[in-house]
Parts: sequence; structure tokens; C-alpha cells
Amino acid sequence: MPRVIDGRELQPPEPLELALMALDTLPDDEELTMLLYCQPHPLFDILRRNGYRWTETVQDDGTHEIRIRKA
Amino acid sequence: MHPNLSFEQAPPISVPYRFFLTAPLFGVVAGILLAWLGESAVASRWVGGALALTHLLAVGFMLQAMTGAVMQFVPVAAGGNVWRPRLVANIIHPALVIGASALVAAFLSQQGWLFRLAGSILLAAIGFFVVVAGTALLRTPARGATMLSMRIAIVGLAVTALLGVTLAEGLAGEAAWPLLELANVHAAWGLGGWALLLLAGVSYYVVPMFQLTPAYPVGLARWLAPTLLVILLLWSAQIGGDSPAWEQGVLLAGLAVAAGFAGVTLWLQQRRRRRVTDPTLLFFRGAMLCMIGLLVSAVVMALFPDLAEHPRAPYWLGVLALPGGFVSAINGMLYKIVPFLNWLHLQRLMGLGMLPPNMKEMIAERAMVAQMRVHFAAVILLLGGAIMPELVRIAGGVFAVSCAMLGWNLIQAARFYRDFRDRMRAAAPNPAP
Repeated sequence: MPRVIDGRELQPPEPLELALMALDTLPDDEELTMLLYCQPHPLFDILRRNGYRWTETVQDDGTHEIRIRKA
Repeated sequence: MHPNLSFEQAPPISVPYRFFLTAPLFGVVAGILLAWLGESAVASRWVGGALALTHLLAVGFMLQAMTGAVMQFVPVAAGGNVWRPRLVANIIHPALVIGASALVAAFLSQQGWLFRLAGSILLAAIGFFVVVAGTALLRTPARGATMLSMRIAIVGLAVTALLGVTLAEGLAGEAAWPLLELANVHAAWGLGGWALLLLAGVSYYVVPMFQLTPAYPVGLARWLAPTLLVILLLWSAQIGGDSPAWEQGVLLAGLAVAAGFAGVTLWLQQRRRRRVTDPTLLFFRGAMLCMIGLLVSAVVMALFPDLAEHPRAPYWLGVLALPGGFVSAINGMLYKIVPFLNWLHLQRLMGLGMLPPNMKEMIAERAMVAQMRVHFAAVILLLGGAIMPELVRIAGGVFAVSCAMLGWNLIQAARFYRDFRDRMRAAAPNPAP
């Protein structure tokens, strides 16, 4: 079951806080999806340092969809 | 996978903080100087006191804060690598402090050697910064309106510095240059080409993110910077000596661009998705109203030339642009950036599985609101000084208090970071570096 964090209505660093909590319990074979209106370089930095990989797509309304899983 | 895997960590927190914590000190000095000089400082645009005050804010406050912001913003928001940020900050920060201080001393004492000293130091420091920041901005894979605006802003800073050092040489010696026209062009590139474009570029990114507004309209974000660049080039034609007849129209066009950006920002704030009203939002609102006030004032002065000829007309415009516009916006931005950087750097130390403290704990909201009230009281008093010059002494005092409160609030945030980091290190036998 995919986990989704919609951070579009949240003030930083709330989306990051939710992501950190979700990553802490994310099973290796599952994926975390984040929806944001910006490209979250601090999150990418955290993911890179902690062994996660991600894909990013930008939707027509400007939403960045970031799909994260363990590397 | 995302292509930005190669970007390195953001600079150490001490890099931006040394700039952020220094900026309010220049504001305090500006306020004290105005309180000391009184009415003589606003008698004309060209008196040494007025020029010293202008540069205390423009170079001392604004350039400090904006340099720190660029050093931080490029890696965090754009994924760009700033070359050896600690070394760069170790060079640029003291150079800006000494250069700004020498420039202010030069305006107050009218000593030629001080103008040359200030010009040399500032040109070297700004030149170095332009190369470092410009390289990072050109090499980042990030695209879009923020990057375009910031890249042109860096060019604007370079032009401002070159014109500034030319003016300093002119004031130091006997050069028969058109100093009035050079000063007009220097001010336009500094306020429009550098400060406004940097503010706009950063705003495209942080206003929707922190104030939860819709994104800036694509057309405005794409065309504002190139349009302003063309206007600045037209405005620069006056260096040739003769002021063309269409010069006033160019000035109004430039101010209309600034007011357009301000109006759109206010409109976006009205449409924000969550009705959170915090000091940053209110600081921005005040700043944007001042930018619109600049255009309205310029139009009124164009319609009533007697007003434009008034000796305190430039002072009125200067207050709207500097303490009212840019200082307000920077002040509000600092109240978001500093707690956010605390949070990011603490998170880096803690790793996954633990959360840093809430951002709201890092600077008390009550302290920010109190400082904001004092700041806007100072802006109103400063504006009042254009009509009743006897107000400027008290206005300067209130402005100094406001900047001291800002500095104190930022110091509290820096202390919060240091204390929390030290407690973590004390609790963990092998903490992260």
C-alpha cells in the first residue's frame, strides 16, 4: 500500500518532518510519495545521505511528485 | 533518478549567520547616526550625512544580509555548489564590514583617501563574490524564473560596484565626470538591478513555500528581470551627459515594474491557501506597500514638479525604498530563514529517526511581533520626517531600537542552535561532525 504525504498545504519544515517520520518506518519494499509545490533540495540531501533513491515528476499544476524508496 | 545527485551539502551554518548577525548592527549605527545628525542629514540628497546613512543601509545592512542569503540559497534551493563557502565567507564578510565602514567614514569626513580605500576594498570583495556566486548560479542545473532573476541580479551587483568605485574615485579626486548622472545610474542598478531582482528571484521560491500562496504568474516571473534589465540600460544612457527627454518615463517604468511585482505579491498573499498571518507575511506586506508607494510618489512628483524639487523629496523616496521596502522584506525573510536553517542543520546532526525542535521555539513569536511594531513605527516616523524634519531624530532612535531588537532576536536563534547542538554532542559519545 503506497504511503502519500501531501505537503502542498504545509509550511516548511512540516513536510520534511512528516517525511522523516514516514521514512523511519518505511519497509524496504515500499514506496513513499511526496507531493510538493517546490523542488525540496534539503529532502534530497537527507535521502542521499541515508541511502534512499527517488524519482521526481512535475505535474501540470506545478506539483512535484517525489517517489522514494530504499536504495 | 533525479539528476542532482552530485550536489554537496549546504555550507556550515556559520557562513550565512555571520552575515545575518552583522547586518542589524549597521542598522543600529544608521539609526544612531540619524538621531545624532538630525535635520541636517535630510536637508539634501547630497549632504555627507544622507549619503552615509544611505550606504549604512544599502551596503551595511542590505548587502550583508543579501550576501549571506545568496551563499545559503544557492545550495539549499537551487542545488548549486558554492566554491569553498567557509573560505569565501572568511574573506568577504570582514571585507564588507571594513569597506562599508570606510565608505561611511569617507562620506562623513570627505577624505579622498578614505573614498579610495573603501572603493578598493568593496570592489575586491564584491568582485570576488560575483565570481563565486555567479559561477555557482551558472553551473547549477536548476532552471526557471528564480535562477534567471538571480543571475541578472549578480550582474546588477557587479555594475553597481563598478559604478560605485568610479564615483568614489570621482569624489576622491578632481575627475570631471558627470557625478550626478553616475550616481543616478549607480542607485538604479543597486536598488533595481541587484536588490529588487534578488528579492524577486528569492520571492518566486520562498513566498509560495513559506506563505502558502499560489505560485507567481509565469508571465510576470519570466519577464520581470529582462524588462527591468532593458529599463536599466535605457536609464544608463544619461551617463553620456545629456539627460534625454524620455528619462522621466524610464524612471516611472522602472518603478512600475517594482510596483507590479509588489502588487502581485500582495494579491498572492490575499489568495494564500492557509490563513496563517505571521510576522514574515506582515513584513512583506509592509515592504510591498512601500514599493507601490514609491511609484505613487513618483507619479505625483511628475504631475507636481514643485514637489519633486523639494529638497526632502529624495529623502521621502529613499525611506520608502530602503527602510520601508528592502529592510522590511529582508527583516521578514530573516525570521523564516534563520529558524529554518537551525532546523535543517540540527536535523543533519540528528539523522533519521529523531526530529529537531519546532521552528516556533527558535525565535519567540512575541519578540518578532514586538520588533515588527517598532520597525514600522520607525518607518512611519522616518516618512513623517519629510514633512516635519524635527521628527527625524526620534525616528533615527526608534529605527536603531528596531534593528537592535532584530539583532537580539537573531542572536537568540543562533544561541538556540548552539545550545541544542552542544546538548546533543554531550549526550552522544560519537556525534556527527
